[in-house]
Amino acid sequence: MSKSKKKSVPKQNETLDLSMAEKILDSYEGMDGSLIPVLQKIQYEYGYLQEPLINLVAERLNISASEIIGVATFYAQFHLQPRGVHIVKICCGTACHVKGATKIVDEFSKKLDVKVGSTTEDKLFTLEEVACLGACSLAPIVTIDEDVHGNLVPDNVDNIIQGTRQQGRAK
Amino acid sequence: MSDIKLKIDGKNVAVPKGTNIFMAAKNNGIYIPGLCYHPKLSQYGGCRLCMVEVTERGRTRHRFSCAQPVSEGMVVKTKTSEVDKYTKSVMEYLLAHHPLDCPTCDKSGECGLQDVTHDLKLSAGRFKTARLDEPMKRDNPLLEYNTNRCILCGRCVKVCKEIEGVGAIDYQNRGFGTVIGTAFDKPLDCTFCGGCVSVCPTGSWQDRTLKFRARPWELKKTSTICTYCAVGCTVVVNTKKNEVMRITSDDDLGINEGNLCVKGKFGHEFINSSRRVKTPLMRKIGILCPVTWEEALDYVAKKLAEIKNEHGGKAIGGIGSEKCTNEDNYLFQKFCRTVLETNNIDNISNIKSPSLNRMIKESVKHGIAASSVEEIETADTLFFVGADVSEAHPVIGSMARKAIRVNKAKLIVANARNIEFNSVVRNDIRLQYKIGTQSLLIKTLTRLIVDSKLLDLKKVEDTTENFKELRSLLKSSDFGIKKTSQLTSIPEEALKSASGLLAKPGKCYIICGKDIEEDPSAENTIKALMDLCVLINAGGSDKVSLVFSRANNNSQGVNDMGVVPDFLPGYLGVNDHTSRKKIEDSWRVTLSDDVSMEDSDNVFDLASKGKIKALYVMGENPIVSYPNGKKAKEAFKKADFVVVQDNFLTETAQLADVVFPASTYVEKEGTFTNMGMTVQRLNKVIEPVGESRPDWQIVCELAKKMGHPYYYISPKLIRDEIGKCVPIYEGIENNNLEKDGFRWVSSVYDKFESLKYSFAISGRKSPALKRNKDYPFILLTGSSLRHQGTYSRNSSSLVSLASECLIEINKNNAQKAKIADGDMVKIESAQGKMKLKAKITTRIPEGAVFVSEDYEWAPINNLRVNGYTNVKISKAR
Repeated sequence: MSKSKKKSVPKQNETLDLSMAEKILDSYEGMDGSLIPVLQKIQYEYGYLQEPLINLVAERLNISASEIIGVATFYAQFHLQPRGVHIVKICCGTACHVKGATKIVDEFSKKLDVKVGSTTEDKLFTLEEVACLGACSLAPIVTIDEDVHGNLVPDNVDNIIQGTRQQGRAK
Repeated sequence: MSDIKLKIDGKNVAVPKGTNIFMAAKNNGIYIPGLCYHPKLSQYGGCRLCMVEVTERGRTRHRFSCAQPVSEGMVVKTKTSEVDKYTKSVMEYLLAHHPLDCPTCDKSGECGLQDVTHDLKLSAGRFKTARLDEPMKRDNPLLEYNTNRCILCGRCVKVCKEIEGVGAIDYQNRGFGTVIGTAFDKPLDCTFCGGCVSVCPTGSWQDRTLKFRARPWELKKTSTICTYCAVGCTVVVNTKKNEVMRITSDDDLGINEGNLCVKGKFGHEFINSSRRVKTPLMRKIGILCPVTWEEALDYVAKKLAEIKNEHGGKAIGGIGSEKCTNEDNYLFQKFCRTVLETNNIDNISNIKSPSLNRMIKESVKHGIAASSVEEIETADTLFFVGADVSEAHPVIGSMARKAIRVNKAKLIVANARNIEFNSVVRNDIRLQYKIGTQSLLIKTLTRLIVDSKLLDLKKVEDTTENFKELRSLLKSSDFGIKKTSQLTSIPEEALKSASGLLAKPGKCYIICGKDIEEDPSAENTIKALMDLCVLINAGGSDKVSLVFSRANNNSQGVNDMGVVPDFLPGYLGVNDHTSRKKIEDSWRVTLSDDVSMEDSDNVFDLASKGKIKALYVMGENPIVSYPNGKKAKEAFKKADFVVVQDNFLTETAQLADVVFPASTYVEKEGTFTNMGMTVQRLNKVIEPVGESRPDWQIVCELAKKMGHPYYYISPKLIRDEIGKCVPIYEGIENNNLEKDGFRWVSSVYDKFESLKYSFAISGRKSPALKRNKDYPFILLTGSSLRHQGTYSRNSSSLVSLASECLIEINKNNAQKAKIADGDMVKIESAQGKMKLKAKITTRIPEGAVFVSEDYEWAPINNLRVNGYTNVKISKAR
């Protein structure tokens, strides 16, 4: 774990260095109601909430692991699975739904060969549905990282993916 | 505090301040539907069923009755059309989600959801059903969880967290996908207290020991007292056709508020086990063969009479039982002392901690050990000294958690191991002392309290005998905080805050555990602890309660009943003329004052020396339970004649010449005395299994065969006699023991109150801990949550849950010895060796290993010697 701390993809099976998490926990020592900020910071550092991290937080905060998982699975902001380099968020709010968001979802799912909520094998894309992105005039709409793609039809999907892939390589 | 008056459905009621409307109605016989609220748990308000109409200060609103405290002049209506409409639609939603699989659900008939549906007269709902179709989760032998039936009331989550302190389960995911589950969907790994089953209002959590064997309405329910540990919980035994189907609990019965532990809840399968001894057995040509009662009794009577005539009564030894009732044990010792004419009787708990009876008597005399178990719930400070509460007395743990949760009690845990005790808050002080330094620790705490003048020392001086001498003793450098901190390896800060907490005004509840009582330095440490208690009691305003741990359900009673060599029933000294006279008069006999245990030899020592020729064992398995297994085996092999009465063919019974089949606790009446000195009555639940008979009856018949017919036709008559001649049980004959049981302590200590207490002054050091080069580890033993004795071993579900005895090794020691978690480890002492699976932990101090002594099939006592046992460990090949 010595290389630069870019947006690297954490590998499983590797023994996890818990020192960063320990440091975060130290700074919240003895504080009540610190679970969510602790999880946020740990997720920021480690990408997603892995089992050893949850167990460490459980031990340090005297909250059972099942309760922490309860919190982590309740809030959409926490992730228990590794996430890709690019996060594809497909809006499934009312307007997008009416304008055919399901078809967009299906197309992304097919082209990326991945289910909604999970990450491609090459760890490049994570496909997610979101409730509303607040840009209904552009429905159906998709964001990939910070980029917004509006007024989509399924035929556009392939182009967008290819574009992002090239961008990703450039990154 | 005056009660709050309000009106519910036109009825005037008065309830204490702070009560919610739900409980106010319930306690006054008014029904409000509700599925998530439970009086022993914190309020949640998730099921939305307990809606009522509330008129308060002129305003009428709808309120959830579980979340709304009562107020003066409130008018509550539970049955308006609006409320009815609301409640019904909530139920419609629940039933649109809940599968109506009642015919194949074991809960059907006692299901909260079913009852509410029935009560509201609901039939077809308006909503499209949307039900989950998840498979049943069966990842352990005791509990199963059905996600589909769950209404997410959260009771199980709260029981697990608040009562059990575990938090193994919680809500997972959200919205329609919400389920109750474990972290990472792992198999359930908890204490298996069964609390989730008890509180579940649907069929989501199920007791697998019942599974499909009976419908709830077929079960006959009888409450009785649990037979495992010394807490004395009330269990409700559910039977069908003379067979025990399951054990439940009742929140309103007994001291345990419906809480049980894994043994109490699921350890009932031994009762109807096929391995029970069902007929008398007699050794013929070397094999134990079934015989009639008549033949067995005749033979035993003849043999015992022969040995008595030839060698005198002293040559017969009796072992009483920590599992049998007071009546059984009383009669047993009376039989031994009068018919067999021997004082060589004993019980295992007395052998394990010989000074304890005297210490308890002394503590009671000075008013420090006069508390019941359930009083812990009202304490402000809890101090567990060498007591592994979660393993040995789990329900006391639940009570302690209640004190911590409700009273904001502070907890101090002193133990050589870093024992597990979890509660909703972690504000406890942990004093992990080095093995053998416990009495130093207690004395230092005493000194800290005296030095910093946290108490009214003038008052202590006036009310006790020799406080000045104690003070000058404590001044010596031996008990200085720096030195103690070094020797015990406890930080000075922790010592200071512990002493501060102990001396703080408020109720202080101290549990002295097995690790202290069975340690070679027991006497010193217990005395130091008593000194500390008397000091706080005399100098502070509130009461200190010192409670001594007892291992088994009637470990206290067996000693009370005088199944010890030196005490007649009620701790009347055998050698004390007036005491003996009292018993002699009521028994109309002359008793021997010859206690042939001069050289601190116990029954087993005498038997292995050949001085005892016959052994009569009632309900005990010394080969496994006697601390030195090798010695016990030797004793039984050496004895000419061995009679054992037990429920199973135990290791001891296998060496017997005659085995009498005895009944278990559900097949007889009687009383048990718990470690808080509360005497509670057993109720007969089923008829004796096979040809087995209650122990008192067997003793009676044996006495008759030996020419001393007793008049007892029921345990009640024995109890009447106990009430008349055992001073500490005075008056028990007039008590029907219906509700709170009978407490023995109170009647005695009033008589002694005027005596002044003497502190221990002799600077006697505790025996030092000797390390052995060849055997570098100290063997620590202790209780196990999941097993206790013959009963749990014959309960198949408990065995499949915990089949393997583990040896717990410190992480650093294991690393050095290259032992990994789960490896087989050879453990060796000078006495013997065995192989156990390793569990690597940080809870055990370095230089020690821990093995539970409750796994009968891994008898660690074969390795043990008197005092500390030195062992070595190596990876087994």
